[in-house]
Amino acid sequence: MDLLRRDNEKGFSWKGFFLQWEWMLILIFLLVTAINSYLSPYYLNYDNLRDATMTFLDKAFIVLPMVLIIILADIDISVASTVALSAVVMADLYAMGVPMEVAILICLAVGALCGFINGWLIVRFKELSAVIVTLATMIIYRGIAYMMLEDQAVGQFPEWFKFLGWGYVFGIPFILIAFVVCAIAFALLLHKTTFGRRIYAIGNNPTASRFSGVQVDRIKIIVFTLAGLMAAVTALFLTSRMGSTRPNVATGYELDVIAMVVLGGISTAGGKGRMIGAVIAVFLIGYLRYGLGLINIPAQALLIIIGLLLIGAVMVPKLKIRGSGWRKAKPADAPVKRAL
Amino acid sequence: MSEYVLELRGITKTFPGVRALDHVHFQLKKGQIHALMGENGAGKSTFIKIITGVHRPDEGEIYFQGERVDINHPKDAQQLGIAAIYQHVTCFPDLSVTENIFMGHEKIDKGTKRLLWKQMHQEAQVLLTELGADFDPKTQMGALSVAQQQIVEIAKALSTNAKIIIMDEPTAALTKRESEELYRITEQLRDRGVSVIFISHRFEDMYRLASQVTVFRDSRYIGSWAINEISQEDLIVAMVGREITQLFPKKAAQIGEEVLRVDGLGRTGYFKNVSFTLHRGEILGLTGLVGAGRSEVCQAIFGLDALDAGKVFLKGKEIHIDNPLQAMELGIGYLPEDRQKQGLVLPWSISSNITLPAIGKYAKKGWLSRHKEDEAAKTLAQKLQVKARSIYDPVSSLSGGNQQKVVFAKLLTAQLDVIILDEPTKGVDVGAKSAIYEIISDLASQGYGILLVSSEMPEVIGMSDRIVVMREGRVTAVLDREEATQEAILEASMVSISPRNREQIAEARMI
Repeated sequence: MDLLRRDNEKGFSWKGFFLQWEWMLILIFLLVTAINSYLSPYYLNYDNLRDATMTFLDKAFIVLPMVLIIILADIDISVASTVALSAVVMADLYAMGVPMEVAILICLAVGALCGFINGWLIVRFKELSAVIVTLATMIIYRGIAYMMLEDQAVGQFPEWFKFLGWGYVFGIPFILIAFVVCAIAFALLLHKTTFGRRIYAIGNNPTASRFSGVQVDRIKIIVFTLAGLMAAVTALFLTSRMGSTRPNVATGYELDVIAMVVLGGISTAGGKGRMIGAVIAVFLIGYLRYGLGLINIPAQALLIIIGLLLIGAVMVPKLKIRGSGWRKAKPADAPVKRAL
Repeated sequence: MSEYVLELRGITKTFPGVRALDHVHFQLKKGQIHALMGENGAGKSTFIKIITGVHRPDEGEIYFQGERVDINHPKDAQQLGIAAIYQHVTCFPDLSVTENIFMGHEKIDKGTKRLLWKQMHQEAQVLLTELGADFDPKTQMGALSVAQQQIVEIAKALSTNAKIIIMDEPTAALTKRESEELYRITEQLRDRGVSVIFISHRFEDMYRLASQVTVFRDSRYIGSWAINEISQEDLIVAMVGREITQLFPKKAAQIGEEVLRVDGLGRTGYFKNVSFTLHRGEILGLTGLVGAGRSEVCQAIFGLDALDAGKVFLKGKEIHIDNPLQAMELGIGYLPEDRQKQGLVLPWSISSNITLPAIGKYAKKGWLSRHKEDEAAKTLAQKLQVKARSIYDPVSSLSGGNQQKVVFAKLLTAQLDVIILDEPTKGVDVGAKSAIYEIISDLASQGYGILLVSSEMPEVIGMSDRIVVMREGRVTAVLDREEATQEAILEASMVSISPRNREQIAEARMI
C-alpha cells in the first residue's frame, strides 16, 4: 500500500478546480466588468481605472490580516478606529514639529500597539468574545482620536509624503505595488509557513491545537498586532491621499473590510478560505463601486448589491456541498482497507 | 396494586456496536431508598435514561404501580412522577430559585395568561421550608452552592408531585456536612412516601441511606440484596466478579531508571497530594472512578492547567511546565481522552494531523516543506499501521481505532521520554483495542515511561506494571502487578484509605 498515493478525487480535476469559490468570484468580476463597460464608455479608460484603483486600495491593506483573524474564528471591528487614531497621532506629532519620518514610525507603532491590546484582551479574558472586546476598543480608540484633535483637520505634510497616495512607479500607482507586495507576503505567511498552518489549526479546532502544543494565545496576539500594524499602513496611504486627517476618517471601513473577506470565501466559522479569494473580492467590490458611480447609480444601491453578494457568498458553499453530495459520499462508501 | 411502584423487566438497550443494557431487572418499592451500584460503564446511566424517557428500550417492560407503561419521552416520565437529579445540576443560573422550580410548569392565570409570581414564590417558599432550606426563593440560582442547588432541584421534583426521584451521584460534589444535610432530606422524602433511586460510588452513602441495593455489571443485572444481607466485600465481588478472559500483549519490559517523579501535586478543587514515580520501560496504570481526578493530574503535568502545589521531576531534574509545547520539548507527551475534540483536527488529512505538534521540525526556518512532512507522516502511519488509502485522506473518514493510531503517531513526532495515555482505547472496537495494546507494549519496550490512565479495569490490570488508584482527588493505593486484583482496585477506588494502603503510599513516596 502506497500511503503517498493521491486518489483520483484528491488529484487534479478541471471540474474541481473551476468549482472553487475563487473562480466564482472571477466570473462575477468579469460579469461586472462586462456590464459596466457596456453601460459606460468611460469604464475601460486606463486613467479612470487607475484612479479608481488608487481610491479603493487604502482599506485593502487591512483585508490581509483580517483574513487571518477570521480564519482564527475571531473578528476585529476596531480596525477603522485604529486607522483614525494612528493617523491622528501622526498628524498631531508632525504639527508639533516632530520630523515626518519619525511621525510615520510612531504611527505604525501606535497601530501595532492598538492591535496588541486587542489581542491581549482577547486571550486574557477568554469569556469575552472578540466582537465585544474590539467593539469596546473601537469606541475607545476613536474616542482618543477625537480627544486629540477635537473636530479639526490637520494637514500640510511634506511634499514627498504625497507620493504614497499619488505616486507612480513606471506608470503603475505606488499603492497598487505596495498592496500586491503585502498581499503576496500575507499569502506566503498564511499558506507556506508553519505560522499559517497553526492559524488554520486553531480556526478548525482550538482545543486540539492547544493539546498539540500550538501556542494559541501567542499566535492570536501576533495576528491582532499585525492587524493593528496594517491599519496604520492604511492610515498612511489614506492621509497621504487626502492631504490632511480628521478624527472621523475611515468611518465604516471595518464593515467594508469584513465584507470583502467574507465575500472572498473565508468562513466566519474559522479554519477555511484562502488569501487569493479576499484579494479578488477587494478588486471586485472596488470596481463594482467605481462602475456604478460612473453610471450615476446612487451609493445606496451599491450597498444593496454588496449585501446580496454577501448573502450569495455565505449561501453558495452550502448549496455546493448539497449539490455535490453524491460526489462527497464516494470516499466513505468505498471499502476502506482495515486490518480487522 | 402491585407491591412495587416501579418495576422493570428484561430491559435491553443496544447502541451501535455496544450493548448498553442486557435483560436488566429492577424493582422499587414505595418509600424505599434503593441504591444502584456498579463500575464505570456498568449501564447505570443508560438505565436512568430509560426510566426518565431519554432513551427507549429495545426490549423489556416497564410497570408503574403495577400497570404496564411506555416511557417514550421525558414528558411521559414527568407525567408519571419520575424526576432525576444529576451530579452536575442542570439549572438556569441567571434565573431565580422560583423560576427554576417552576420551569416548564409555571402557574399561569387562566384568563390573562399572566404569570402568577406571588403564588409561585409562596409555593416555592413552602417547599424550601419543608426541605429545611433557609434561602429566599427570589435568590438567583447561580448565587447558591451546589448543595443548595440540589435542594432546589429536589423542590422542583416535589413541585411536580414526583413519586420517584433518581439521584445520580448527588454527594460527589458535596462536603461532609452538606452530604449529611442531603441524607436528612432524602430520608424526609422517604418518610413522605417518595421512592428514591440513589446512585453513588460511596459506600458510606449507601450504608447510611439505602435499604436495598442492586448491582449492575457489564450491562447486566447481577443481583439485588437487602442492605443488611450483604457485606462490603461481597458487594465488591458482585461489582467486579468477572473473569479476565482477554489476553493482553504485554511484553516483559526492561524497567530502567526513574524518568518521571511527581511529589505532592495539588490543584485546588481537583486533586491533592498526588505522588508517584515512573521508570523507563514501565507502564504505570492510573485508575479510579470517573471524577477521581486522574485526567486533571495528567493535564496539569502536561502544562494544560496550572499546579497549585507540588513538584515534578524529569530524569531527576525539577521542571516547571507552563504550556504543552514546553512539556513536549522537555519530553512529555499526552494523548488526550477525547480524540475528536482534543486530539484531531477532523477535516484535515492524516498527514497534516500527524505533523501538527512538530510542524516546526518538518519546516525550514518556518517555511513548510510538504515533501518532508508527507515522508515523516508516511513513516509514522506505516509504523503504527494506520489503515487508510493514503495519508491525504481526511481523518474524519477513518474508524475510531485508526483515528486513535493517528493521535499516537502525533506523539511520536516529538522526542519523548514520558507518554501519558488518557483512556487510549475509549470508543475503539475490540479488534482495534488489541492493536493499540500492542502499540503501548511496544512503546514501553522501546524505553518510554508510560502513564496509562484508564477506567477499564481489565485493561489496567492487564497492561500495567504498577497501578496507582485515585479516589476523590487523592491517591488511595499503589499496587504491584501481583497484588492488583479487581477487588483491590475497586476497594481503593471506593473506600477511604485503609491502613494497609497508607503504608504502601508512604513507601511509594520514599522510593
